[in-house]
Amino acid sequence: MAQAVPAEQKWWSGGKSPFNLEYGKLMMWYFLMSDAFTFGAFLISYGTIRFASNGWPDPNKVFQSFPGLGSGYPLAFVSLMTFILIISSVTMVLAVQAGHAMDKKAVVRNLILTIIGGLAFLSCQAWEWTHLHHEGAWWGSNPFLNADGTKASTNFTNFFFTITGFHGFHVFSGVIINIIMLIMTLNDVFERKGHYLMIEKAGLYWHFVDLVWVFVFTCFYLI
Amino acid sequence: MSNEATLYGHSEVVTTHDVHHDEHHGHHHKETFITKYVFSQDHKMIAKQFLLTGIIWAIIGGLFSVLFRLQLGYPDQTFPILEELLGKWAAGGKIQPEFYYALVTMHGTVLVFFVLTAGLSGTFANFLIPLQIGARDMASPFMNMLSYWFFFLASIIMVSSLFVQTGPASGGWTSYPPLSALGDASEGSKAGMDLWLVAMAMFVVSTLLGGLNYVSTILNMRTKGMSMTRLPLTIWALFFTAVLGILSFPVLFSGFILLLFDRHAGTSFYLSDIFLASTQKALPNEGGSAILYQHLFWFLGHPEVYIILLPAMGMASEILSTNSRKPIFGYMAMIASLFAITVLAFLVWAHHMFVTGLNPFLGSFFVLLTLLIAVPSAIKVFNWLTTIWRGNLRFTPGMLFALGFVSLFISGGLTGIFLGNSTLDIHLHDTYFVVAHFHIVMGVASFFGMFAGIYHWFPKMYGRYLNNTLAFIHFWITLVGAYLIFWPMHYEGLAGMPRRYLDFSGWASFNQFGGLNRFISIVTMIVFAVQLLFVFNFFYSMFKGRRVTSQNPWGSNTLEWTTQINPGHGNWEGEIPEVHRWAYDYGKDGRDFISQTEPVGADESKH
Amino acid sequence: MHFMENIQEITHHHSFDREAGKKEVIRVTVILTVFTLIELALGFWLMGIEAQFMRHLIKGVICILMLAKAFYIVGYFMHLKHELRNMIMTIVVPLLLFFWFIIAFLADGNSYKNLKNKYDPYHLEQSKTKVEAPAHEGGEHPDAKKEGSKE
Repeated sequence: MAQAVPAEQKWWSGGKSPFNLEYGKLMMWYFLMSDAFTFGAFLISYGTIRFASNGWPDPNKVFQSFPGLGSGYPLAFVSLMTFILIISSVTMVLAVQAGHAMDKKAVVRNLILTIIGGLAFLSCQAWEWTHLHHEGAWWGSNPFLNADGTKASTNFTNFFFTITGFHGFHVFSGVIINIIMLIMTLNDVFERKGHYLMIEKAGLYWHFVDLVWVFVFTCFYLI
Repeated sequence: MSNEATLYGHSEVVTTHDVHHDEHHGHHHKETFITKYVFSQDHKMIAKQFLLTGIIWAIIGGLFSVLFRLQLGYPDQTFPILEELLGKWAAGGKIQPEFYYALVTMHGTVLVFFVLTAGLSGTFANFLIPLQIGARDMASPFMNMLSYWFFFLASIIMVSSLFVQTGPASGGWTSYPPLSALGDASEGSKAGMDLWLVAMAMFVVSTLLGGLNYVSTILNMRTKGMSMTRLPLTIWALFFTAVLGILSFPVLFSGFILLLFDRHAGTSFYLSDIFLASTQKALPNEGGSAILYQHLFWFLGHPEVYIILLPAMGMASEILSTNSRKPIFGYMAMIASLFAITVLAFLVWAHHMFVTGLNPFLGSFFVLLTLLIAVPSAIKVFNWLTTIWRGNLRFTPGMLFALGFVSLFISGGLTGIFLGNSTLDIHLHDTYFVVAHFHIVMGVASFFGMFAGIYHWFPKMYGRYLNNTLAFIHFWITLVGAYLIFWPMHYEGLAGMPRRYLDFSGWASFNQFGGLNRFISIVTMIVFAVQLLFVFNFFYSMFKGRRVTSQNPWGSNTLEWTTQINPGHGNWEGEIPEVHRWAYDYGKDGRDFISQTEPVGADESKH
Repeated sequence: MHFMENIQEITHHHSFDREAGKKEVIRVTVILTVFTLIELALGFWLMGIEAQFMRHLIKGVICILMLAKAFYIVGYFMHLKHELRNMIMTIVVPLLLFFWFIIAFLADGNSYKNLKNKYDPYHLEQSKTKVEAPAHEGGEHPDAKKEGSKE
């Protein structure tokens, strides 16, 4: 435990938070729990349908294009997207830490970097969606064959667009939240409050988006 | 909202704020009609909003059951008045088949979600949590207000679906695809289904906003001395209810999103190998699984049963103990069994799917886990019985309904043991036996818990009592009526009579139940009329009821009775009281009751 | 809102050392990067492997790495490891539900496939029939909604 807490502290006796957390952060955590079950349900549904199918397309044949280079580069573009999101998560942590130290300048710098990272990720996703759409993939239409050369159902693309779309929607709302945080920081809202706890909550949300991507990346592109 | 402002405060500072707050109480709270009654952020007012909306929904949902019971009881008669009122849905004075399905569907949806989820835990979690744990309000009053208004929005959308030309959703309250996914499959699968899904999505948002608030309030905002093991059992029950909602509703939400895509984006998440009789066409959809939807639905659906039941259990515990003038028996066992029920609620969902194509081997695990629920349920029942055993029972209306709750929970719970067995389910599934089981154990029992809560806390809500004579009439007719309605259904179900059928007169094997069905329908109408009597009592007493003259009319230990008779926003005039003991010191050391706020005496015996 | 005394004291992490924090972030970033690179390497390796057992083994390793990454993100980036034990428990314990959630769903998905293959031989036969690869590079732009739609 980072903070100096007396060992005999009675956390549950009432009159204080048993977690030493203010309610907002607690709520954000439990909201993310709930959201984890939303994403969990999507990904488990995807797994269920995949287990219920005799064949499934090979992701390396589907996702093999890189902007400007053409096709034949499996895993390359999605690696780029993954790293963009990891780096934006790092800048977000740095923003939160700067908030702890009441270092407004560093907060602003790191928030801007995070927002750029988020927008970069969204652009990548937009490019990938457009590219797949041009190949004939969309909700209800799947041009790709199963890995063994048999005809595939449309559920590969159905799940891909639904789940990455839902994740992209989260990235988008995360970017909006971060922009609001940036404006509030620039207007000295947190300086006046005396703490940057709002940024911590926005940070939790942003890391959660990154966390979900770890699972989406594995489930759709790797295995 | 800006609660964080005092984050750095220490306890002394906190006290200063308290005083400060009270000095300014008068100036800060010049409230307009809008902020006081409509967009109120006071948890007590939000609770009343949930309750009133719930009552309206209960009348609508109950009326639906009267309508379809009319059809079931008198399948060969016509009622021209129905055609006057309902038009084409009751052409020739007979309930039409499509409308019958719509009635059954909306009856289920309305009562399960809008009455027994929002109306029950929405009302009592909002009302009781801050009052019983010693908090001024919820953690986020603003989100709490939003929770109600999302519920209101969901209600508006659901009501509007009743008026679309093709009628409301009619694929059953579970909305199984492919029926619910294909607009061509039935009238009710068209616009009504979309509105149903959107309304339910709004409902999930409302539950989430409320649930997050309930959980963080209970964890974070307890007053000094109110440790978790001093909480009244109502709060424990509402806590687990909120946890169930937070973790299971999102799964339903995902399931609904996939269903919406299947309806409108040409996907096949749930669809495969379909030939549609209505259009004489084979559909191109392939690769989906209708069972997947059932899994997603029941992953919520089963916890939902406990979302409905747990608040009733909590309130019954509190009311039984208070009115027996005895401590609750096995307080820790009660908490443990609530916890066990919460955990098991998440592990047993597929027992609703034993005969829908679920792998039978997997089903056997679900049988085992399902039957395990009998253990915590039995613990609770025995603890309630031992609580009232040799107590000084006071038969207030609240107490009567709490006792009725225990009776119904036992009767309905026992048939659950039958249905939990996948082999017996081969015979019993989709019969009136199932209808009888879940109506008694979850429907009527939870209603009794809700009525118990309303009778018990009405004096705190409105500063007046409900009329006792009307309450006794309400109780006895409802209890006897509920058994008369649902008990015979067990026999019909054992004989194989299927649920959701419009008319049984065509079957020789079910013809014998014609008289019984008519009897059930008559009782239904009487019981429904008595509920209207309750509604009358509710509104009459709100304005004209006998006034409450003392702060603590029931001689209760919990904190809500230390507030003024009509507490304002903020609940306590002065400081929030500190708590020194658990909530159940009744009949201790020769004293009738000892409030939680009283310090433990030096020579006091242990409980 | 005005009910300020609802917020009880929160001891603060002000003692918290920014330099140490930065070091930790760098360490975790390196770990996440390395794990991702291993995952990618395994992914490339997977492309050339036919043996089913080996494929499943590699996929298993990838899943373990995925969980390890999740652990580092939640534990360090989201700071959960530095919260009180009580808090950690309220987050971790409910997540255990995912075990049965995943096992039951996937097991039933698998059973659905087997039952369908057994009782619908035409389906099985179809799913074994190889088809010509459609020329999807041709930039055709089918109106997707029509193709799979129910009408």
